[in-house]
Formats: sequence, structure tokens, C-alpha cells
Amino acid sequence: MTMPPVKQTFNFGSFLSARSVMGTTIHDLGQKYDNVWALVADTGGALAAFHKDFPDRFIDVGIAEQNCAGIAAGLALEGNIPFIAGMIPFMTMRACEQVRTEICYQDLPVRMIGTGGGLTSGGGSTHNAMEDIAIMKSMVNMTVLSIGDPNMIKDILHQSMTYPHPMFVRLAQGKQDRVLYEPGTKEFGIGKGLVAREGKDASIIAHGEMVFEAIETAKTLAAEGIDVRVVDMYSIKPLDKELLFKTIKETKNILVWEDHLMEGGLASTISDALVDGAVKPKHFKRLGIPQAYAGFGSGPEQRKKYGYDRETAATAIRAMLQK
Amino acid sequence: MADPKEVQRLEDLAYEMRKKLLNLCGHYEGAVHIGGDLSMTDLLIGLWHHGLNVDPKDIRKPTRDRFILSKGHGAVCMYIAMSLRGFFDYDDILAKYGKLDSPYGMHVCKVYLPSAECSSGSLGQGLAVAVGMAFSARQKKQGHRVYCMMGDGETCEGEIWEAANTAASYKLGNLIGIVDKNNQLMSSFAGEAMSFEHYSDRWKAFGWDVIDIDGHDMAQIVDALDSVPPITHQRPTVIVANTIKGKGVSFMEKVVGWHAGSLSKVDMEKAIADVEAAHAKARSAR
Repeated sequence: MTMPPVKQTFNFGSFLSARSVMGTTIHDLGQKYDNVWALVADTGGALAAFHKDFPDRFIDVGIAEQNCAGIAAGLALEGNIPFIAGMIPFMTMRACEQVRTEICYQDLPVRMIGTGGGLTSGGGSTHNAMEDIAIMKSMVNMTVLSIGDPNMIKDILHQSMTYPHPMFVRLAQGKQDRVLYEPGTKEFGIGKGLVAREGKDASIIAHGEMVFEAIETAKTLAAEGIDVRVVDMYSIKPLDKELLFKTIKETKNILVWEDHLMEGGLASTISDALVDGAVKPKHFKRLGIPQAYAGFGSGPEQRKKYGYDRETAATAIRAMLQK
Repeated sequence: MADPKEVQRLEDLAYEMRKKLLNLCGHYEGAVHIGGDLSMTDLLIGLWHHGLNVDPKDIRKPTRDRFILSKGHGAVCMYIAMSLRGFFDYDDILAKYGKLDSPYGMHVCKVYLPSAECSSGSLGQGLAVAVGMAFSARQKKQGHRVYCMMGDGETCEGEIWEAANTAASYKLGNLIGIVDKNNQLMSSFAGEAMSFEHYSDRWKAFGWDVIDIDGHDMAQIVDALDSVPPITHQRPTVIVANTIKGKGVSFMEKVVGWHAGSLSKVDMEKAIADVEAAHAKARSAR
């Protein structure tokens, strides 16, 4: 079957479906490794090619996420590498205990890739993913990544083939994701972060969809003479502490911006690392989802309503530099 | 029909196992899930000493039949059944059970016993894992079966039926479920809180072949294990074994308080005397 082509021409901010990059990548891995399996709970669209070419390694369990996690564990116990693709709230919450007890407790190389990170799903609070990072990072042996740039998923999934632990990968909306990096120009790695834009006055540390928002905000501030660095901290657990401490040392002012509850996500991870490491930024502020169950609307509309949009971020940076 | 000599050999092993279980229960300071251990003792002897293709010299032999104890609180029962086959040393289990860093804990734990097939303890999760293993075996064209021992109480969990649905939908004939149907949960009898009526029909309705047996009749256990279909069969099989919680000990049988407990020396001796008397009676009837 011909695969949907993955756009390789670089055009910053253009849309690309992270789900189709994921589907193409898992198909490639399935071709290369005969122990790669794909599992879905009625969400198999992006894996149609895998299903067609490797039907005996594709399982659609219907709408049954707990079972899906358990079956993945059984496959992994037999030396397979199962990739579960689905919607974040159900794979992380409905199947929470199965992920913890069947996958993490036994330290099995299951990869969970979820779409709809933060308030991007449009489905309201049943479908929003605002607790997933807090839940997943609390599990022993679990690795947690949040990927904005759709091409990054390809490198990370290839690297995961030699990674012996469970992994949760949060994608943003999944259908229309912003291309951030020219393919081949950045190195991605589990446990690493990267500087998406250089700057010296302050840093925005973000993950997922908020990296694009941060770059756009940095552009706005640049016009005012404020030079903002943007760090894409896509590996939330393990955290790239070296990059974090270097960022604080060099830019002093930190804004952590994420499409997740303000408590329990990247900001909390960073806050822990700073306290434990006795590293003190001049200013530290976090932007994200407050304690609220959001309704409906687009991502930008909701971010504005809940106070973590571009304007709020720009105001926060300006305020830091005035103090 | 089961070979009477084989049945007697297994009955003698089950007798040894009950005594060893009760001895451990009388020596361990904490609670042992003795009620559900005694209800599946005959089944585990049938499995580990007759039904399963396993090799005590190589616990992880690739061609072995896989056995998942979904009712993980019966871990010590499985360890003792396996020790009688030579996988573990009973005295080692007795000395270490439940102690710090022990390989033999209350629930099966791969962290401390890496040779275990699968960690368990959280109820209702084993069948899905067994389904995953059965998928893998079929895809790799391996000849072994995957067996999963469940308690009837844990089949209140929804995940059991999600997995049952998947196994039948994907025609996993290499998967064998066993339900230790002792008609008790931790705190109630079947029918008091939750209904277990038409129990075998539930599995049939999900597309499974069902073998109903008396789980304390070794000839029936052997016959059931001998009659499981070839792995190419188009339906999974479940053996619904009707059992008695606390089987063999007069003061434990069908008593809710004996879901778990520890035995005083006097009670341990009384319990072992019950088991010895029942076995002597059975032997004289042979």
C-alpha cells in the first residue's frame, strides 16, 4: 500500500498531522522489526496501512482501553514491542491502573501514543487531557514525552526501539500540528530538551503545542526589544536538568507554559528540580490550565479564557523584566 | 477417561500440598489467603503436575505452556504446587514467605521473582495479559497454550469480559481459562451481593467453549485438562470448576472469615488432622 507522504519541505508553522507521521513511522518499524505490534481501542485510522500490511500484528480491541493495556503487557512479556495509539484521557485514566500495574510494575517496553493533549480536542472535559502528564509521570519506570513538532515523533519512535522501559508520548491535537524544526537540523532524544529559539533576557520553557505559541510570543516581544529564549522541554520525565540549569543561569527569568493543569505538569517537575538543586531563578512563573473543567471551543479561545494565551505570556515576560 | 493411577498420584500430591499449605499458614505470622488456596489446590496440582507442559529444570523454557495466576492472592498456593514439581524448594518458601526482599510474597511479583510468568494481585487483570500472550504465540506459530486461573469473584471486574470478548473475537484457541468457582467473594457468598447465576452460560454467550467440572474431583480435572482442543481451534476454552472455599478443613469450608487468616498451633493440627482423615478415607475407598 502506498503510504501518505510525510511532508519534508520545511515551512515553519505549517500544519502537518502528527498522527499520520506516527502511523507512517509505526508502519516502517513494523516492516523492519517483526516484534512490533500496533494496538488500538477503536482509534485505528492512522494505522490503516499497518493493519493492512501486518494484520497478524494489529489488534483493535474495540472500546476497551483497560483490556488494551493488559494485552499490550502480555505481548511485551513475550518479547514484543507494542505501540498503543489512542486518545489521551482514556489510555491514561480509564486504563490508569492497568498501565501502572501491568505495564510499569513489570517495566515492559510498551509505547503509548496519545492525541488530544491539553484543551485541543474540542470535545470538552471528557476528552480534554489536562491531568495526563501528572498521572503518567507519577508511575515508576514510566518515561513521559510531550511532542509538538510532528516530525519529532518519527525520531523518538525509532529511538524507542532500543529503550527498555514503558513510554507515554503526548501529542498535541494530532491532526493539525505545527512544523517547528527543519527536518535534520535538531537532535531529539529521550531525556533531552532543546533550544527552539535563542534569547538572553528571559526564557519560556514549554512542551507540545505551547512551543509554537512561545516562539510566536518571542517574535512579538522581539519587536519590543525583548530577547526571549524558547526551550522545548519535550522530555518531561526524565527531565533535562542540565539544559534547565543552564537556561536559568543564562537567562535568569523563567516562564513555564503548558497546555496541562498548572499543578502536576512540567512546571511542577521544574519547580521540584529547582528546589532540590537549590537553583533560584530571578523570576519564576507558570501558565497553564487552572483548576477548572473546561467546556468547548478552539484551543486559542480556551487559552484566552483560562489565562494562558500569547498575550498573557507576553505580559508576564514584560512584568518580569520591569521588576 | 482418566487413568486411575494418574488420578491417585495427583490426589496424593494434593493431599501433600494441603498439609504443606496449612503448615505454612500455621507458621507464618501474617494472614494467608487459605480459603481460596484450598479451593484451587486440586486444580493447581492437576495443572502443574499433569496438564501444563513445563520443565522444572528450565522454568523459562521457551516452549513451556504459560500459566498466569490472575487470582494473585493465591501466589503461595502456586509456589507450593510448583515446589512439589521441583521448581522451588518448599523449605525455602516456608523460611522466606512474606519476608523483606523475599521472592515469595503474598502476590506474584516479577520484581522479586523474575522467573514468574507475570506479576498479579490486582484482580481481574490476568486474562487480558493472557490474551496478549496467546496473540503472540499464535503470531509466532508457537505450539504452547496460555492458561489463566481466575477466581469467580474477580470476574465481577469488567476487564475480564473485555478480554473474554477479544479472545473469542480473535478466535484464540490456544487460550484456556480456568475459573475457581468457589461461590464466595472476600465478604459475601455468591448470590448475596452479586449474582453468579447462569455462570457458564455467560462464558458461552461470549463465544467460549465451556467445560463444567467438580474442581475437587481429580478424575474430572484430568479429563478436562486432557480434553482441551488443539491450539488451532477457533474458540477459547474455559474450565468452570465448582469448588468449595476452604476445601478439606471442616472449620474453614464455606466460612466467610476464612478468606484469609493465620492458624494457631492447635488449629493447624486440627486442620491437618481433617485433611489426613479425608485422605485416609479416600485411600481406603480405592
